[in-house]
Amino acid sequence: MTGAVAAAIAVGLAALGAGIGNGLIVSRTVEGISRQPELRGALQTTMFIGVALVEAVPIIAVVIAFMVM
Amino acid sequence: MILDHGAPIYEDLFGISWLDFNLSNVMMVLVTSLIVFIIAVIGSRKLQRKPSGFQNFMEWIVDFVRGMVSSTMDWKTGKQFLPLGLTLLFYIFIGNLLGIMFMVVYDGDLWWKSPTADPSITLTLAVMVVALTHYYGVKVKGGGGYLKDYFQPVPLLFPLKIIEEFANTLTLGMRLYGNIFAGEVLLTLLVGLMASGFFGFIGGIVPTLAWQGFKLFIGAIQAFIFVMLTMVYMSHKVNSDH
Repeated sequence: MTGAVAAAIAVGLAALGAGIGNGLIVSRTVEGISRQPELRGALQTTMFIGVALVEAVPIIAVVIAFMVM
Repeated sequence: MILDHGAPIYEDLFGISWLDFNLSNVMMVLVTSLIVFIIAVIGSRKLQRKPSGFQNFMEWIVDFVRGMVSSTMDWKTGKQFLPLGLTLLFYIFIGNLLGIMFMVVYDGDLWWKSPTADPSITLTLAVMVVALTHYYGVKVKGGGGYLKDYFQPVPLLFPLKIIEEFANTLTLGMRLYGNIFAGEVLLTLLVGLMASGFFGFIGGIVPTLAWQGFKLFIGAIQAFIFVMLTMVYMSHKVNSDH
């Protein structure tokens, strides 16, 4: 039971952090695109790489959550 | 709860104690490869100057991968990675799609699923990609240039560069696996809700449809990100101008 709670807390906090991080990345990308629409393709590519790197953190947290459960 | 269906594992092939096969993985890899092969053959048959129909689609995909390659490295060194990127993109995208339509559980074993919803397959892909980056790093820059890269810009970073290689491999594989597997788990839950009764069916039909659509999007994005990161890692090893 405590293991399940620990796993839930770990996943929840990781999702919170990743959500904040992804929000920052996407909001800055939107800002950049609205300032320079001609750079849209390059900015989007960079954004997707950044989002992918951030996504790795909650996935590692999920693995750890499964380990403690 | 969710993972109550097992995997059809065939143990001890030829009497070797460590050689086990997940037959579902073998089948799904075969199915995915077959579909990709058929698409590639149909898309590149009877090539014409004025493309029409399926050839248009194929050329669009090749152009798309070409744009990805040339956004990370110059086209002279990058053109040899076009087939690699094209193959990975097709394989991962089709693999992600296969688990959306339905899943087949026969005799308590999960047979039909996305091949990319299994960590052994995605990590194999990731290890293959990272091994290829090392191979091409040596091939393009030579052994000396390849080794010198580990000590640039300052020699102090050498341990971090070693750790980076392992972290890259792990995250590249686990990202794909985590996204696709989590999607399938939620899909299983939604289908379970729909099968629970009349009101469950009414309440679950819209979320299931929406999640299937979103999973289509996730599958495309993850295939794109896998190929993009492959090219980024490749450019780290191959490009000499930092």
